Amino acid sequence: MQLAVNIVVLSAIYALIACGYVLIYRVSRVLNLAHGELMMLGAYLLLTTASLFGGNPWMAIGAALVLSLVVGVLVYVLLMRKMTGEMVLAAVLTTVALGILLRGVMVLIWSAQQQYPGQALGFSNPALVLPGGARISLMAALLVGVTAATYLGLFIFLRFGRWGVRMRAAGQNPLLAAQRGINLHAIYALAWGLSTFTGSIAGMLMALDSGLTSSMMIIGLKAFPAALVGGLDSLVGALIGAAIIGASEVLSIQYIDPLLSDVIPFLVLIVMLVLRPWGLFGTREELDRV
Amino acid sequence: MSEANLLTVDKLEVVYHRAVTAVQGISLKVARGQIVAVLGTNGAGKSTTLRAISGFLGIDDARVTDGTIVFDGRRIENRSPNEITRLGIALVPERDKVFPNLTVAENLAAPFARGGPGEDAIYGIFPRLADLRGRTAGLLSGGERQMLAIASALMCGPQLLLVDELSLGLAPVAVEDLMQRLLQIRNDLGITILIVEQSAAAALQIAEYGYVLENGRVVLDGDAERLRNHDDIREFYLGQSVNRERRSYRDVKQYRRSRRWYG
Amino acid sequence: MSSRTPRASGYFRTGYAQQFALLQTRLETRSLVLFVIALFAFPFFASAFYIDLASQVFLAAIGALALMLLTGYAGQISLGHAGLLCAGAFTTGILAQELHAPFWITVPAATLVGALLGVVFGLPSLRLRGLYLAVSTLALHFVVVYLGGEYESKRGFSTGITLDAPTIGGWTIYGGKVWYFILLAGAALTLWICLNLLRGRTGRAWRAVHAHETVAAALGINVAAQKLLAFVISSALTAMSGALFAYYRGFVSVEAFSLFLSIQYVAMIIIGGMGSLLGAILGAAFVTIFPYAIEAALMRLPDAQSYAGVLFAVNYAAFGVVMILFLLFEPLGLVGVWRRLQTYFLLWPFKHRPLERGRK
Repeated sequence: MQLAVNIVVLSAIYALIACGYVLIYRVSRVLNLAHGELMMLGAYLLLTTASLFGGNPWMAIGAALVLSLVVGVLVYVLLMRKMTGEMVLAAVLTTVALGILLRGVMVLIWSAQQQYPGQALGFSNPALVLPGGARISLMAALLVGVTAATYLGLFIFLRFGRWGVRMRAAGQNPLLAAQRGINLHAIYALAWGLSTFTGSIAGMLMALDSGLTSSMMIIGLKAFPAALVGGLDSLVGALIGAAIIGASEVLSIQYIDPLLSDVIPFLVLIVMLVLRPWGLFGTREELDRV
Repeated sequence: MSEANLLTVDKLEVVYHRAVTAVQGISLKVARGQIVAVLGTNGAGKSTTLRAISGFLGIDDARVTDGTIVFDGRRIENRSPNEITRLGIALVPERDKVFPNLTVAENLAAPFARGGPGEDAIYGIFPRLADLRGRTAGLLSGGERQMLAIASALMCGPQLLLVDELSLGLAPVAVEDLMQRLLQIRNDLGITILIVEQSAAAALQIAEYGYVLENGRVVLDGDAERLRNHDDIREFYLGQSVNRERRSYRDVKQYRRSRRWYG
Repeated sequence: MSSRTPRASGYFRTGYAQQFALLQTRLETRSLVLFVIALFAFPFFASAFYIDLASQVFLAAIGALALMLLTGYAGQISLGHAGLLCAGAFTTGILAQELHAPFWITVPAATLVGALLGVVFGLPSLRLRGLYLAVSTLALHFVVVYLGGEYESKRGFSTGITLDAPTIGGWTIYGGKVWYFILLAGAALTLWICLNLLRGRTGRAWRAVHAHETVAAALGINVAAQKLLAFVISSALTAMSGALFAYYRGFVSVEAFSLFLSIQYVAMIIIGGMGSLLGAILGAAFVTIFPYAIEAALMRLPDAQSYAGVLFAVNYAAFGVVMILFLLFEPLGLVGVWRRLQTYFLLWPFKHRPLERGRK
């Protein structure tokens, strides 16, 4: 039972991070390898706003969320905008470079020590006992709920929102989208903003749950196999992929070897790339485009 | 509203990849409410001219290097496609003309409409699309896809509709039908239309004026009536040979004359 | 028009053999001779610190040249370069530790392991392209590093494997100067292999595969075999560099082979200039010297000691900035800068080369 809870929590973490990879890839065909760092930046932003609005935790969280959205848009406007139309690989390497830059900057600003934004905000994180005897921390339960809400929101936005439809349109055929009056830069900026926003939510919740360390970036990196296994252009795929990766990781730690934890997502990814490179729910022709 | 010409292209020159000149000095005029056809074979520069009017993306690596494009009194060369669309020019591209994974209704919802005719008016022109509302666009037939492409271009609320190779890959009956729809769009909605065609016969049915392009230059222009009866057009574009024996392309005096003028 | 002139000064080739000559002009021959003399003289004048720095550049150059073959010429992207270095180093470490195998066995064995891993890394390339290929090599990197870590922990070398100085025929290889020449020889050998591969049939086949796979196949090139060959050769050279690295450091640990190392190698070929062997060497030198330069610069600031703790963070940030600057503003890398300078002086006072064909 505890195992099942662990799987659900880990899968929810991966799913919440993976949707950021999918959002950007789906719209602009760029794999954002700085996503883990951006996620962590979100958590650090919460740390800063927590010290600014110490008395008002909701204000702090709201400010951090808005800031993370702004950061995402700024990353596009200042950096990735110049890479549109360049080779896909050059864009991906730019995100890699951005990740390295952010890593350095974050250590310079906030130091590399473990920190607890939860304490700064005055949140307690009690363990809840579920029927059946399994335990789950409050923040982890919140994370599962937030993940569900985020996915629901994204589905509704992309399916029924006018800008959501435009985002999907721009992802399929940027030229035609531009010819239909859609401002591609606005769409891309929106995608980067949303992606950083959802990533930051994940980062903040993880930091509230178990503190803020540099190991978070590894979790960010481990989430992208989840996105790929599901199919990089599919949100449903990201959800299922996260579940697969989460389950295989928890089970292999439990029954085989704890050291496998960091490598299992990538082993699953390799198996997937051999069997079905475009992922469970991805579109097949994606392969030829990149 | 000042001039009679909605679109004036003057001595247009387009260079791809900073090296290849695709269009060299094309000039044409489209009067308000007119249907104008641009004819020519592969590589004549028709599509490039149309793309230059509707705007290039950075990724195309193409630029208008010389000449002017004036639309509704405004210079529009080298603007981005979305700006041009919002100014009132909508393009029906040659291929990749719909968003394949969106439904028909979503395809019509995606355009950034400003003063568009509204979905009901569109379904009035293309009743077939109303039945297909929920169908994924990638599953449509060629003719239906072309209808959807024209419809979604109309959703942008254009004053000028650019149509690239309407007849490509379609049955003559379907082309006939679509040409009549274009005529209807002009007559009912008052939208000026510029069509680019290889199939001169289809285009000259509805066009009032025509330009013939060869090797990136205008070699002939005139009223549709005059073009339809022109010997060279009849031979090379309409497939009606004037005399029995087939002549080489290079023998045609239009072509030689243009070489002397520009070369 | 004739083919493009190789030199703007008016040097025209008159035979096909000249096209394959490594040195085209007398100036090139002379400067090369001078450069070789300088390389040989260097360790006798420089301090131990600079000899070590140069040795590190040679090591990095081997890996960068290997990656350049794969990415810059054959067009196959790899983010798993550190995994191959790791494999080479660990093969050496394990053989030396468990079997007390000598130098002349371990290095070829590491190279062989690298070649085999090259097949493994290359297999996905038969099905995948671009981004997906990069991702698959990234995944393999983690697998290789995991295996290394597993060996460390299972055999109780939790901090790493220590290697004794290698001996050849009773003569122990020891000391900075000796290593300088060994690594210089390794880099020169790699460069020679690369040059000869690239100007021959293999190099042409790789370039064709890079340009367009379908067209290459239509030209009679066995695309799958050429891709695998590129992976095998590149990986073998990389693993060799890993083995030399292990001996040079006298110590092997998985910590040294993080993803950041892979990125550094990719950065070398980008900063140096894609599709140029000279670029790989320049990039290797740049990326190797860069952190030392940053450190030296920081130490000049007032209050130098207080920065010591954040040095690695400054390094990361500065490295990220440099990489971004090159990607955005100089995609052709240092070689691009060099060529532009060359062209500028050759064409002065004009700005542009004459077009091959006039406008009209």
